[in-house]
Amino acid sequence: MNRVKVLQAWLWCVSLWPCWLSHAVPLDCKDETGSLIQCTSISQEKLLDRVIQHAELIYRVSEESCTLFEDMFVPYPLYALRNQGGTMCHTKPFPIPGSKTEIQQISDKWLLHSVLMLVQSWMEPFVYLQTTLNRYDDAPDALLNKTKWVSDKLLSLEQGVVVLIRKMLDEGILTPSIFEHTLTPDDEPSPEIPESVLRDYNLLICFKKDAHKMETFLKLLKCRQSNKLSCLSY
Amino acid sequence: MAYSLSLSLLYLGLLCGNGLVSARGSELFTADPSRGPHFMGCRSREQETFRCWWSAGTFQNLTEPGALRVFYKTKKALSEWQECPDYTRTVENECYFNKTYTQIWTSYCVQLRSVPQNITYDEACFTVENIVHPDPPVGLNWTLLNVSRSGLHFDVLVRWAPPPSADVQMGWMSLVYQVHYRVRNASHWEMLDLESGTQQSIYGLHTDKEYEVRVRCKMLAFDNFGEFSNSIIVHVAQIPSKESMFPTTLVLIFGVIGVVILLVLLIFSQQQKLMVIFLPPIPAPKIRGIDPELLKNGKLDQLHSLLSSQDMYKPDFYHEDPWVEFIQLDLDDPAEKNESSDTQHLLGLSRSDSSHFLNFKSDNESGRASPKPVDLPLVSRSSSSISDLGIQQTSEVEETPIQTQPTVPSWVNMDFYAQVSDFTAAGGVVLSPGQLNSPPVKKKEEENEKKIQFQLVSDGAYTSENTARLLSADMPPSPGPEQGYQAFSTQDIEGNLWNVEYLVSANDSQTPCLVPEAPPAPILPPVSDYTVVQEVDAQHSLLLNPPPSQPVICPHSPNKHLSAMPTMPMGYLTPELLGNLNP
Repeated sequence: MNRVKVLQAWLWCVSLWPCWLSHAVPLDCKDETGSLIQCTSISQEKLLDRVIQHAELIYRVSEESCTLFEDMFVPYPLYALRNQGGTMCHTKPFPIPGSKTEIQQISDKWLLHSVLMLVQSWMEPFVYLQTTLNRYDDAPDALLNKTKWVSDKLLSLEQGVVVLIRKMLDEGILTPSIFEHTLTPDDEPSPEIPESVLRDYNLLICFKKDAHKMETFLKLLKCRQSNKLSCLSY
Repeated sequence: MAYSLSLSLLYLGLLCGNGLVSARGSELFTADPSRGPHFMGCRSREQETFRCWWSAGTFQNLTEPGALRVFYKTKKALSEWQECPDYTRTVENECYFNKTYTQIWTSYCVQLRSVPQNITYDEACFTVENIVHPDPPVGLNWTLLNVSRSGLHFDVLVRWAPPPSADVQMGWMSLVYQVHYRVRNASHWEMLDLESGTQQSIYGLHTDKEYEVRVRCKMLAFDNFGEFSNSIIVHVAQIPSKESMFPTTLVLIFGVIGVVILLVLLIFSQQQKLMVIFLPPIPAPKIRGIDPELLKNGKLDQLHSLLSSQDMYKPDFYHEDPWVEFIQLDLDDPAEKNESSDTQHLLGLSRSDSSHFLNFKSDNESGRASPKPVDLPLVSRSSSSISDLGIQQTSEVEETPIQTQPTVPSWVNMDFYAQVSDFTAAGGVVLSPGQLNSPPVKKKEEENEKKIQFQLVSDGAYTSENTARLLSADMPPSPGPEQGYQAFSTQDIEGNLWNVEYLVSANDSQTPCLVPEAPPAPILPPVSDYTVVQEVDAQHSLLLNPPPSQPVICPHSPNKHLSAMPTMPMGYLTPELLGNLNP
């Protein structure tokens, strides 16, 4: 009897060993000066709320950037292009469902991974977008500031999602996957204005759509965290 | 290349379906009768389903159902044109896409075709989230927040609930709301800012007015507002709170009245002081001695006497020079000149016309330039001496009748200046007579002259030539009459700039030119009015020229410049000569 008990206890310890490890290993945190300090712990709910706030802000700013660009560079008849949500958005490595029922059936893991993948896929195009916008003669400063801001926020959003993944899914740090982008940076010295205008406009519209996706997924995740019943499909 | 081509095609398509976004549904949209078959619009209420409506337009032969058909296609790969999954039976010309066929974040294109003829009349492309018009919020109600102290304004809090069709909880739709309000039956709605929550405060509403409030919503970061909710009426009756106002008003009124009464009492009690403070008396003009009544009445002679008695009307110079009355002679009157002259007075010759020497021009009114003050003491003394003379003489000459033409010694021609001939040991000046032969002078005059002489010497620096001449008239010309000038003692007259130094005596080697020689005949050389200053010695005394009739016997004269000097005009010293003389 004692031997069984000891064995059970030993098994428990062994099984819980990874948990102890994950709790024992502190997260790397850096304060303003850059030195490593122990991270201040944050609850999962709060972290999710902050991530959602990030996503919402990014979505709003993306919409404002779209409007700014539209007012400045896009002639009126092409406004309808916006309604179509972008014609040539770059395809994702895995398809993201569009209907509500399908999305509701997506697991938390898939939601988080999708969000992470979306965030990572847009980092490089935004860098490209900043360089192209600087080429315009009369690009409003607000637009340039917004794109810069979005680039920064994407980084922090990525960090948050990574932490969320680690917390919620107990997964390790994922290696950032490199995505093939259909949109390559333009190396032409001075592209024709209409074509580049269309391209950038399309880029902004596609980003807005993807930001909406991120926000929707994260909100769905939150809904599931708080109230599982109402968020499931009926 | 493909990219640009697709873009251009898209552009063409957009031009065709331009009116799609702004169009309305079957009950919402109004068909355009001028066009052919076209889509009136597509809408989604909750981002889960959507509908599209079309109209046959002018083509009346296509109005029967089934003539026109809708085909749709998504932009996903490997998709084909599919027909509308559900033609609504209850509503005409409506195509309904249910949940299974609705996907967000994907582009749809719908086409309106007439299958028998295989003609596509219209096409529209969109994404579902861009055509979402949310349902209106429900459950709009209001609660009173507060009423202002005056009872004229109040604030309300308006609450509502999101539309039930929108799945806000899941986060499927993020809604923002907009509240409108207006005074009932007014034409203009007031709009408040977008609110992401489900309640909002309205401030500054007027009591006793009825307000209409309504709310609508839209998706965050999209442009399409949904329909308005039903309006609610907000009304707060005005509370008559005059009881609370009444005492305050009374207190105010009484307070003001009391303050006014106090002020009036204060003013009346301190009337005099206040009058002085606020209305100071105007100072009256003070003109000493003149009665303004005089000016008014206009009595000129009285006024004139008054004015003349004032100091300011007297000429100033009458104060300063009392001697002027005694000495000043009026040259404009030749008769007087002959009759009364200084020399005569000095000599006492005018004894016969003693009355005349009193004819001093005691003319207060005649204005003569006053001489230098340095002369004053001497002259005053001399005047006094002259008056002494006169007085002495008058006593003797009282009985003599006044003669108008007194005999004047002929030699007394020059009135003002005399030639100093000798310098006594006591420091007296011996004056030689004038240019004419000196007649014998009366002894009494000599005595007087001596008196004068001493008096003159003791007094000042300046003496007239004539005076000096007169004094020395009787003196034995021991140094020689040619020595017309003698040194003047400077002891008494220190500090004077012009120390007229007359000819030095024989002992003095300063002017060796005038060596004493055998005295010639006691004929005095003629004396001119002025003499020439020859030299200024170290003590700032002028060395005067002897008269030109006398030859200068000076064999060894160190002053060689004497001979070099040009003939002097028998007159005065010019500035150039003075400059030459300066050592």
